Amino acid sequence: MNPEEVEFIAENKNVSIVPNFNFDRIYLISGDVGPFRAGLPVQVPIWMATNLRQRQKCRIMAPDWMDTEKLEQVKEEESQSRFFTKMPSEHYMVEAHLLLGVAAEDIPHADEIRTILKDIWDMRMSKLRSSVDAFIKTGGSYAKLDHLTTMEINSIRPLLPHALDELYKLQKVVRIFMSFLKNITLQNEQYQRKVF
Amino acid sequence: MKCGSLPHYFSIEDIFATQERLPCKFVVPVHRLGFLDPSSESEDIAVGTTVELPYWLAKSLCCQRRNIVTVEMPKIYKEPYREILKADACVVDLHKFGLFFYEFGTYLSQLEHRDSVAIGSVLVQTFKERFRQVMDWAHNSGTDPLIIQRLDSLEKALFQEGYQTRAQLDAWLNKGASQITTAEMVINYKKRKLAVLDDL
Repeated sequence: MNPEEVEFIAENKNVSIVPNFNFDRIYLISGDVGPFRAGLPVQVPIWMATNLRQRQKCRIMAPDWMDTEKLEQVKEEESQSRFFTKMPSEHYMVEAHLLLGVAAEDIPHADEIRTILKDIWDMRMSKLRSSVDAFIKTGGSYAKLDHLTTMEINSIRPLLPHALDELYKLQKVVRIFMSFLKNITLQNEQYQRKVF
Repeated sequence: MKCGSLPHYFSIEDIFATQERLPCKFVVPVHRLGFLDPSSESEDIAVGTTVELPYWLAKSLCCQRRNIVTVEMPKIYKEPYREILKADACVVDLHKFGLFFYEFGTYLSQLEHRDSVAIGSVLVQTFKERFRQVMDWAHNSGTDPLIIQRLDSLEKALFQEGYQTRAQLDAWLNKGASQITTAEMVINYKKRKLAVLDDL
């Protein structure tokens, strides 16, 4: 997948907006949106929110987790833990990227939030790199991907799966040959037993 | 080169890898094939002649049923070179070892030779140790392009994939999404499209 495709998936998440116009309910395949009443908050998908915001039709309300205190806490937890911790949102990076990109004025402390998120992202990426390396080195057969977000998983594809494929191919040859040798020695032993 | 799948019949890399030459020693006299050894002038190949044969030929001449030649391993897969790889695989210039170090090595370890197991396990070990380096290079956009020349073709393919993904991710982080393009399959689909039909 491209990052663009991951972003497309993440755009279906809901966000609260305060519209400045009145409009009836909109019926979409993925669900109904609205009705819009000027000044009353309403939940809409992010793709609609960014579009409306670009046309100055609404004000975006920051999601609950997009708050300096909460994010500092998440960052603290992430730096303490050896494993990946649960992120406040499945697509935290994409959501932040979209919302801060289009409506930085609507979100309080936008710059601080951006810095903290970048820190968290960098920390998680370096964790990811070292765990991928450990995974290959120890020759583990499975990996738990708890709490990794789609964008993060996507960042090591297709490198990791393909490397594992190649490794499997190399190991398979050794294994086949080993079993072949074992068979031969077994046969020899049986043969010797018959002779003596 | 494509990664992550078994080489198909017409895979040119696979063909190249099986083209590599191996020193082979004849254990039976072969009549009328003297021309294979350019240094001799006799019509037949005598016992004990050493000729370099491509892998695909050597493989079928040295199996248990038809023992015509004995194969000697090329020097890059022999004990001293294996020791170098065991000592520190990361500093080795694999490209100098051979363009298809891993592929050719896998083929060699399929031969029934006493070194086969050792070669196979050295390949696995080398790959594991060098992977971190390849991944780091792929994930740093400021990598010196000359450094890639030290990878063999398999690692190079992995590097290219990693590098492209990372470039895309960096581009997204810097400026956001560009237009999502139609998948190639859909564009090349030969049926008439509904939108075109509507215009008629």
